[in-house]
Amino acid sequence: MPAYHSVFNDDTSARQVGNTAILPISTKIRGPAPIAADPSQPDIIEESLDLFRANCLFRNFEIKGPADRLMIYLILFISECLTKLAPTPGKPSPSYQEATKVLQTLAVDHFALPGDAGFPLNSLYHAPASRVDADHLRSYLTQTRTELALRLCDRIYPQEQVLGTDGQPTGQLGPRASKPSKWWMSFQKRRFMGRSLGSA
Amino acid sequence: MSRQAPLVIDNGTGYTKMGFAGNSEPSFVFPTVIATHQSNSAGSSNSAPTTGRAPPPIAGKPSHLASKRGIEDLDFFIGDEAVANSKTYSLHYPIRHGQIENWDHMERFWEQSIFKYLRAEPEDHYVLLTEPPLNPPENRENTAEIMFESFNVQGLYIAVQAVLALAASWTSSKVNERTLTGVVIDSGDGVTHTIPVAEGYVIGSSIKHIPIAGRDITYFVQQLLRDRGESQQIPPEDQLRVAEKIKEDYTYVCQDIVKEFKKYDADPYKYFARFSGEHSVTGRKYDLDVGYERFLAPEIFFNPEIYSSDFLTPLPEVVDTVIQTSPIDVRRGLYKNIVLSGGSTMFKDFGKRLQRDVKAIVDGRIAGSETRSGSHIKSTGVEVNVISHKRQRYAVWYGGSLMASTPEFFNVSHSRENYQEYGPSLVRRFSVFGSAS
Repeated sequence: MPAYHSVFNDDTSARQVGNTAILPISTKIRGPAPIAADPSQPDIIEESLDLFRANCLFRNFEIKGPADRLMIYLILFISECLTKLAPTPGKPSPSYQEATKVLQTLAVDHFALPGDAGFPLNSLYHAPASRVDADHLRSYLTQTRTELALRLCDRIYPQEQVLGTDGQPTGQLGPRASKPSKWWMSFQKRRFMGRSLGSA
Repeated sequence: MSRQAPLVIDNGTGYTKMGFAGNSEPSFVFPTVIATHQSNSAGSSNSAPTTGRAPPPIAGKPSHLASKRGIEDLDFFIGDEAVANSKTYSLHYPIRHGQIENWDHMERFWEQSIFKYLRAEPEDHYVLLTEPPLNPPENRENTAEIMFESFNVQGLYIAVQAVLALAASWTSSKVNERTLTGVVIDSGDGVTHTIPVAEGYVIGSSIKHIPIAGRDITYFVQQLLRDRGESQQIPPEDQLRVAEKIKEDYTYVCQDIVKEFKKYDADPYKYFARFSGEHSVTGRKYDLDVGYERFLAPEIFFNPEIYSSDFLTPLPEVVDTVIQTSPIDVRRGLYKNIVLSGGSTMFKDFGKRLQRDVKAIVDGRIAGSETRSGSHIKSTGVEVNVISHKRQRYAVWYGGSLMASTPEFFNVSHSRENYQEYGPSLVRRFSVFGSAS
């Protein structure tokens, strides 16, 4: 059983820029992304978040379609986010509010597109065909990154369960954790396919 | 005079398991290691020139050893005692890769195992020993020489470990015929073997080794703990032990990693566990969380990629290759009887997962050939069965105990009288026995 693939690979209706799919997402962030028909169904962002921990363990990945390329990009972006949130000497991990801000800034920051010199996976991605396409891809990815950063924060700062007097969870949700979940942060050093988006 | 129970001795690379036939567990399990006194250079000078097989160094042969034959040669320990005395004695591992490398040490090892531990008179007992697959016949002859001439045993049978593991699986309720055809997956601490056996004979050309076993799982657990910063809690000298403990007590095989991650998200209190330990020297208590390593650790058998970068073939694929390279007329029997043996196959649901994955490979191949035939030929399907049973940990020893407690055993063993008549070449052949057919 090799690494997991995106379920959207068979979806041929999606537009492609270069050979990366532009898949619908459900989001409140403004941008060019197509709106998902059914918001209750998991979109590519949800899928990337679900597959992140499993796929991170793998070094080899066979790309089976344009949706896989988008997923790889998002998984690598999650890695980058986790690196940003990791505690460094003299600076502990940020709280939920700070983390949201940090990641929002990271999401809209300048980033390399397929075809640019700084892009780590240029051998696997085709560059956008034209200027217009490139701009479209950039604004789509910015939007997706922003939405992903939001959802990631929700996941790695889980609401703590309120424990009853007997030490068992009562089912009520308490305030958010004050530092990122170590169960996610432990994946920060693993590199999916041995790559990372950052320059490092 | 009624016969005494045969001795069953399984000397593995790591551990020696020994006891009496008819028992369900070995009486002694300890490391296959011998501690000799440092001044005794005879042992090392015998083992050093391993190129070009030297004649078997029987104790007492080299003259300089004979000259100082006082009581030095009795000054040694084996097993746990040897490990305990490792500061003042030097440790030797007489078995490497399953085969005996140092006959002098091995002879002395047997001597103490029989007299000091089992407390048996070898001349009153038959002995069942085990050997790895593809053991050269010369090694058998050496073994027989030591057993008959030094210990004067009543009779000797040397069985192939894989065959005994097959016999041990007869205790499983899933097995309804006693066959000696099957694939044995033997996973100990150092290496995992997949060995096809047809009617009691090992198919040597198809054996495959997997460099992933118990020790690697321990290392992987340790690595995961370190990634999570959990290991700061553990005193450095205890890290390996803690990882081992977690491996033994908390892990299981999951059916799908992504689904398993989701289960942990949905119900953290049910799945995340807590491990409490105590510093072995200072007695300070410490706690740590046990999480994803519970199912990721044994996963390295099924996805070696997540642990190693040079060995990438999953275990189910290796099993399938082993069967596919065996003669075509035994393949069905091999698929039907995949038997687990050794401590590293004890993970919960290991057999279930292996069976599912092998079945998927087989069904995929059948479906492929059906379409290629233009849907003219329909296959009746191939039965895939993975047998796990309660005696898996010491399966080889247990199989030996079973075999040696049958009356047939005394007929197929080579007796002392025959050895004296024909000499060591007698043990080049052992007849297979025990299967119902």
